[in-house]
Amino acid sequence: MADDIKILVVDDEPVIIRSCESVLRSEGYNIEGVLGGKEAILKMEQTPYDLVFTDLKMPEVDGITLIKWIRQNRPDTGIVVITGYPSQDTIKDALEAGIIDYVPKPFTPAVLLDVTERSVQWIKGKAAVEEEKKEEEFPPSMRQEIDRVIKEYRNKPGSSIPVLQRCQAIVGYLPPVVQKRVAKGLNMSPAEIHSIVTFYSYFTMKPRGDHNVRVCLGTACYVKRVEEVLEKFKSTLKIDVGEVTEDKKFSIETVRCLGACGLAPVIVVDEETYGAMTPKKVQGVLEEYA
Amino acid sequence: MEKYRANLLMCAGTGCVASGTPKVKDALQEELEKQGLADEVKIVLTGCNGFCAEGPVMLVYPEEIFYQKLTVAEVPKLVEEHFLKGRPYEKLMFKDPEKRAAIPLMNDIPFFKHQVLRVLRNKGLIDPDSLDEYIARDGYMAAGKALTEMTPEDIIQTIKDAGIRGRGGAGFPTGLKWEFASKSVADQKFMLCNGDEGDPGAFMDRSVMESDPHSVIEGMLIGAKAIGASKGVIYVRAEYPLAVARLETAIKLCRENGLLGENILGSGFNFDLEIYLGAGAFVCGEETALMRSIEGKRGMPRPRPPFPAHKGLWDKPSVLNNVETLAQIAPTILNGAEWYKSLGTEKSTGTKVFALTGDIKNVGLVEVPMGTPLKTIIYDIGGGMTNKKKKFKSVQMGGPSGGCIPEDHIDIPVTYEDIVKTGAIMGSGGMVVMDEDTCMVSTAKFFLEFTADESCGKCTPCRVGTRVMLDMLTDITEGRGQEGDIEKLEDLSRDIISTSLCGLGQTAPNPVLSTIRYFKHEYEAHIKDHWCEAGICSDLCSFHISEELCKGCGACLRACPQEAIVGEKKKAHRIIQELCIQCRSCYDTCKFASIEVKPAIRKEKPVSAVKEGGDK
Repeated sequence: MADDIKILVVDDEPVIIRSCESVLRSEGYNIEGVLGGKEAILKMEQTPYDLVFTDLKMPEVDGITLIKWIRQNRPDTGIVVITGYPSQDTIKDALEAGIIDYVPKPFTPAVLLDVTERSVQWIKGKAAVEEEKKEEEFPPSMRQEIDRVIKEYRNKPGSSIPVLQRCQAIVGYLPPVVQKRVAKGLNMSPAEIHSIVTFYSYFTMKPRGDHNVRVCLGTACYVKRVEEVLEKFKSTLKIDVGEVTEDKKFSIETVRCLGACGLAPVIVVDEETYGAMTPKKVQGVLEEYA
Repeated sequence: MEKYRANLLMCAGTGCVASGTPKVKDALQEELEKQGLADEVKIVLTGCNGFCAEGPVMLVYPEEIFYQKLTVAEVPKLVEEHFLKGRPYEKLMFKDPEKRAAIPLMNDIPFFKHQVLRVLRNKGLIDPDSLDEYIARDGYMAAGKALTEMTPEDIIQTIKDAGIRGRGGAGFPTGLKWEFASKSVADQKFMLCNGDEGDPGAFMDRSVMESDPHSVIEGMLIGAKAIGASKGVIYVRAEYPLAVARLETAIKLCRENGLLGENILGSGFNFDLEIYLGAGAFVCGEETALMRSIEGKRGMPRPRPPFPAHKGLWDKPSVLNNVETLAQIAPTILNGAEWYKSLGTEKSTGTKVFALTGDIKNVGLVEVPMGTPLKTIIYDIGGGMTNKKKKFKSVQMGGPSGGCIPEDHIDIPVTYEDIVKTGAIMGSGGMVVMDEDTCMVSTAKFFLEFTADESCGKCTPCRVGTRVMLDMLTDITEGRGQEGDIEKLEDLSRDIISTSLCGLGQTAPNPVLSTIRYFKHEYEAHIKDHWCEAGICSDLCSFHISEELCKGCGACLRACPQEAIVGEKKKAHRIIQELCIQCRSCYDTCKFASIEVKPAIRKEKPVSAVKEGGDK
């Protein structure tokens, strides 16, 4: 795992580079070293690195300048500062310029490894967040519809729930981008909108399948052993509650009573209600939507 | 108006629609046209009839003949027999369970015979989307009377004299609630309706909104006049799309006909209504939480006082009434308090709608006078157990806030007071009947799962306490129960009840307390003997075939997914315990009750391991 992480160590003391190399290379990291900011920039112009460890006080191009250059030209690269002067001012400058962490000199191999691992995690996490963001892009037509809904309700007090309901009907779920758009449109904080989305069971932050299977877990259905029907749906579709099948065709949700207790156990696929369900009927119901 | 020889009232409630009403209706229409009867026979789609178990159902007027379990295949025969030849078609009629004789008339069927319809007065009789049909059944007469002839004090006095109590659960006197709000002084007041039926196992509110939406609107109109509100909101569950659609149509018709809006019926009184879709949170059944939800916030309750009658929605005086409560306002205003009180007991007047569900034969909605013995509801109306061979074990009332009433207590009359004495509550009227195959510990766990999940998180005792109780119950049902757990559960219950802010937390331990009260031996058997006698907790039971009772039919052998059953034809079969996963397939399949449930056989722990100093 570690060998696909490329690290560049920048320090005017060769001993630091050597000790970094010996510690991190044995852990399988792909590591190189240079003796100054200028060399670092030259190297980075050639190849991208995942992580850069840099000293702050260096002749010619110093650490802060290097950090700013990296932020500008290689924004995906993570930066860790190695410094013998962790005085508040310099660290503050570095933090403002955008670093992940710092290692005070002198350091033990354990500290270096710890910081490295955390930084790698941070980079990966950031990559995951960005990937998610890409997935969340939704078509402009939806955006227009959302804006229309927001405009319709903008001046009505207490409209957050109806707006979110309508937006969920448009997009199918409520990813963070949609929540932020609603928050901005209704002049509320994203946190407030998020707190509403997570409070009510009607809202979902996960996309649903083309066909959504809702299994009623009300008392009457429970007594009629709906549990076994739910198990059958899970094993047939090979997903858990709240998940979507790989082909995005089906998703399973549970609800707290559909108010059709006379037909228990009840399930609803999209808008269609199926009563007196048994595990045996599951296959047949799913085939209707295949 | 055109005259028809016959009107076919087809139920188009959620239950019957799911059972096939739309297809049968199309087939029926087509067949009537084919036979040239379309000008003589009219099909009307009505709201929920209540007899959901037998759906799709249809009532033929003027004869009042009741047909059930309609299918497309039977339609041609039905039309030929009944409407061409004039012979009611016996095959689709309700059959007396004992004599097997067909019962043609609806009111002779036991399910309907014992009922008195007030709240459900229009169920299955009118087209819910028609204002004319509602008016034809005396609709909006009471509103007219209240708006033009009565003062707010008159209205409140009538409701107080009638003794109407809130049908949402706690049974607070409606007249008193209105009086408080009426006396509050403010520039704006709100009349609210709680249609967020969250109680699992209850569906009367959905049914009323679907089959008779105007009865709710009329009740709100009268209430609005009583408290002086000019705005109203009906808060409905988003899971009830049909109810929402019917209410929307009803409101639109009222606006067009001057029954909502300004200067209603020339009385100078203004009132308008809107629908607000709930987003699914059980705690929103609590009035302060519901009002917060309408304000677009998280539906969390707040301490009272101030009561909503003084500071409610948007801090204005507000009254929140349940759907069923509102549906009985109009007939009470029209007929007077004495009429209302003529049914029921001294403290619990009028009628109550119950949703009969579970292991009971006649599943559906029933309305009976308060004070009717529980036994009458379960056996005479409900027809007893679905599976006649199984014994009645208990009836759960009040949902997650209620409790289980065992067989020894089913002679009690259903009134608010008598039900509370048993440890259950009236709640919204859900009655879930359970037969002997129900594990009461698992049932208690089921409700705790619900409340632990639905706790809004505001009060720690409720948020954390219900979770701790749920973990303990899970341990007990999975064989990790310990001596003293029952007492710990009781202690914790008392703490949660006494330190939670709202009704959710104050009642959440009820299902546990009531099952401990009546079925303590089951808890003990789970903990000490690792035995779930109902055979539900798969870690705590083993299945065996009785050699005397087994006929060797092989049904269980075929049903077993594990191939754990062996035996020759016509000889007693046997279960190989090492292979058995306690799935109950054999138990459910056997027609001769030859499968016995015994304590768990600890497969993973051979006897020797226990001797060598295992944990027990």
